[in-house]
Amino acid sequence: MTGPDFSPVGASVRRNDARGKVTGETRYGGDLAGEDALHVAVLRSELPHAEIRGIDTAKAKALPGVVAVLTAADVPGTNRHGLIRRDQELIASRFVRYTGDAVAVVVAETAKIARRALGLIDVDYFPLPGVFTLDEALAPDAPQIHPIGNLLTRKPILRGDAETAMREAFVTVEETYLTQAVDHAFLDLEAGMAYMDGDVLTLHASGQWVHEERRLLSLALGLPQERMRIIQPATGGAFGGREDLGIQIYLALAALKTGRTVRQDYDRAESMTARHKRHPLRIRYQLGADREGNLVAAKVTVHADTGAYASTGDAVMRKSASHATGPYRVPNVQVDVFGVFTNLSPCGAMRGFGAAQMAVGYELALDKLAEALGMDRLEIRRRNLIRNGESVTTTQVIPVATGLQCLEEAQRRIGWERRDYETGSPTLKRGYGISTFCFGLGYGDGFPDASRARVRFAEDGVLEVYTGAVEVGQGLTTVMAQIAAQECGVDPESVRVIWADTHRTPESGSSSATRQTYFTGSAVQIAASELRLQLMDIGAAMLPVHWDDLTLAGGELRDRHEASLSLPIARVLEEGRRRGFSLEASGIFKPPTLPSDPEGLSPRSFITYLFGSHACSLLVDVETGEVKVERIVAVHDVGKALNPRLVTGQIEGGVTQGLGMALMEEVIRREGKILNPGFTDYILPTMVDVPPIEAVFLENADVGGPYGARGIGEPPLIGTPPAILSAIADAIGTQVTETPATPERVWRAIQEKPHRERARDLGMPASVHSGE
Amino acid sequence: MSPMSSSLPPRGSQANDDERLPLAFALNGEAVDTRVHPLDTLLEVLREKLRLTGTKGACHEGECGSCTVLVDGVPMNSCLILAPQVHGAEIVTVEGLADGETLSAVQKAFIDCGAVQCGYCTPGLLIAAKSFLETCPNPTPEEVRQGMEGNICRCTGYMKVIDAVVEAAKAMPNPKGGRHDRA
Repeated sequence: MTGPDFSPVGASVRRNDARGKVTGETRYGGDLAGEDALHVAVLRSELPHAEIRGIDTAKAKALPGVVAVLTAADVPGTNRHGLIRRDQELIASRFVRYTGDAVAVVVAETAKIARRALGLIDVDYFPLPGVFTLDEALAPDAPQIHPIGNLLTRKPILRGDAETAMREAFVTVEETYLTQAVDHAFLDLEAGMAYMDGDVLTLHASGQWVHEERRLLSLALGLPQERMRIIQPATGGAFGGREDLGIQIYLALAALKTGRTVRQDYDRAESMTARHKRHPLRIRYQLGADREGNLVAAKVTVHADTGAYASTGDAVMRKSASHATGPYRVPNVQVDVFGVFTNLSPCGAMRGFGAAQMAVGYELALDKLAEALGMDRLEIRRRNLIRNGESVTTTQVIPVATGLQCLEEAQRRIGWERRDYETGSPTLKRGYGISTFCFGLGYGDGFPDASRARVRFAEDGVLEVYTGAVEVGQGLTTVMAQIAAQECGVDPESVRVIWADTHRTPESGSSSATRQTYFTGSAVQIAASELRLQLMDIGAAMLPVHWDDLTLAGGELRDRHEASLSLPIARVLEEGRRRGFSLEASGIFKPPTLPSDPEGLSPRSFITYLFGSHACSLLVDVETGEVKVERIVAVHDVGKALNPRLVTGQIEGGVTQGLGMALMEEVIRREGKILNPGFTDYILPTMVDVPPIEAVFLENADVGGPYGARGIGEPPLIGTPPAILSAIADAIGTQVTETPATPERVWRAIQEKPHRERARDLGMPASVHSGE
Repeated sequence: MSPMSSSLPPRGSQANDDERLPLAFALNGEAVDTRVHPLDTLLEVLREKLRLTGTKGACHEGECGSCTVLVDGVPMNSCLILAPQVHGAEIVTVEGLADGETLSAVQKAFIDCGAVQCGYCTPGLLIAAKSFLETCPNPTPEEVRQGMEGNICRCTGYMKVIDAVVEAAKAMPNPKGGRHDRA
């Protein structure tokens, strides 16, 4: 894939990691360790809330083949971790706060012996009363889960005067929406290997930000960062689920304590029990508009179950607040987002990060408002979407706000104006849904956010890219190769990418927040464009061509006007080495954002925003409540598609996870226990559930991203649940207000519809009422 | 299945009289002769004993298809098969799909169509696709959906996987000659 006219950026270059993945040669975390490795297993709390009065490990230690049994007393450092607050212990010392808390760690000669030893550990628990719902946690006499109480955080937005504006609105609607706990369900279970390489603890396990994981482990284990190395193996999906420390803790501790090579493999139940979830939200949404349907006020109160520990809860709550009114122009806003501790799985990062849940709230409330006004759902969106130069709710001005363009593309493709409700069956009802949404990219709110990259021509002439960013399936290593190839004029398939090794690669932040194309992509572009200048400096002395007329493409340095005046890059490299050029360069990309003020406002919460619109059609069987999605159109303004096939792959995958959230996925808990910790009962979308998806990208260039690119990771998930729920309401004439919209919930909504309508006609609360 | 033998000497450092059943089968065309515990799954034996790690485990309860292998030509979840059950069988795993350095049509189509993202479900999907195309050599996208729904992918949303299977069919010689009549 070369030639002078070939542009690596913008081409659907084949993935540089695909060959190993189709031959089975690629090594994931569970594929690494050999026969001599010891096996690590974790004893997890059986109780959701308890005090540990004592642990007797003698019987476990006496079991032949057991090498070590470790408890909190064996942890050398602070024994605390957490991405935002260090409120979680590696191994519980006194209190357990959910059924996944680690209580002891066994290291043994085989996995079977390790598992047997777990059963021989006696833990003397003193059970404490648990809190399992928002209301239980917030009750005045509730058992307190942490020293700070049961309220993790409160994130407000106060803009204008929502109280007055709501009172004076022509029409207001109000509804409460509930979203569920969702599991990331990446297929590649947590697994890895660790050993001491001299005095360097070396860990092979999949996370999302190797440098931060090393920082956290260094503090927790009291080991200097220089004596710890994390290398990410191939990773089978992440979706936010590998952001919190997990298996790294036990692998590191076991290697440190035994000095041996250790391995560990979670099974699916442990993975689903121990790992954090997507926050379930209770969103009370009140929306007011004037007679023409212009939004005048939003009052939003959100309670989020953040589970037993903070995880990234503070940031998720802030993202829910800053995205509470989505891409719409609302002059008066009052938002209050509360993060509440319970004795359930910690909740934290998952694709969409608080913004996905809020889209269910603002989109369905907007649909309700359209109904109250007798207005088309499309029309009310056209009227209220912000235009270029207007601001989102935080007051941040968006120079390129393309929600309307996305909406028009989506409605045109689904055929909104010629919706066909004929199904040929009295029990099948068709519905059409549409959603628009926006998403702030990067960490935002003043949190330091930087990517670094290094590029060099190696001794064998191969262009190398070094980045600390992790490839988890999204195609990052391919895109980075394309960018470096674009700048240095080589074949992108020849570029070697060295990634996520704390000893060899510079820090590039996390693969999360839809940030790597924008951030690490920029860092690679900066580095590679400097390397390009080196090649041109060298070449300018080798060719009778003015510097300005030189170009690098197709493996050659040449005169841009006269193709015969050219040199192979290999010759230029040879000459450069002879003359002492480094043939390498570094880049850093670190654009600032600003923290919010006490009212939650900020002129620059995020580095940039993405816009999108989804439309779908579906069938509801009104006798069973079953939903069959027929078609989904997903339109996203990505700024520039650096690799169109990877972009549409991200859109299709995100839409499918959104469909799972909308219709079937739910972690069901009772008294602190997960009832469905496996794929038999935690239902994931299969090929027959997913309809044809039309993935469409628009390219309105971003001013700050590489080649105008923004990103694409999270938004495709965000737009899907509201579009599907909107279509269900269109089909059955009433909203399902709780996700997932299982057949049972849809059926119930159908049964309750006459009662709701009567309540509305009687002017009862939680329904439409007119002002004036 | 061979009878159990109690007179075998222990092997290795762990004195595994646990592994008392002899097991012989053909793996990707090569003879394997080993011993296993009666309750070892085929997946465990492939990955841990034979160190052939291309076959992946993800749910370990037969729901996701990541561990799919061919047993005498039939796609099966290797996490649910006890290893002794394949005594004398012919097993094909993802490592057996390519012919040396030359990728099979299905492998090539997966790369070209962008059907690989994280790649963890890929080995199972490739095996399932190989088997599916033998029974349905010129599938429509809908036939692919129905025929391969037992394999879960969490990344791709399946669109490009379906494309890849349809494309692979076009690139493969059709044993029955010509396309099926779909009129």
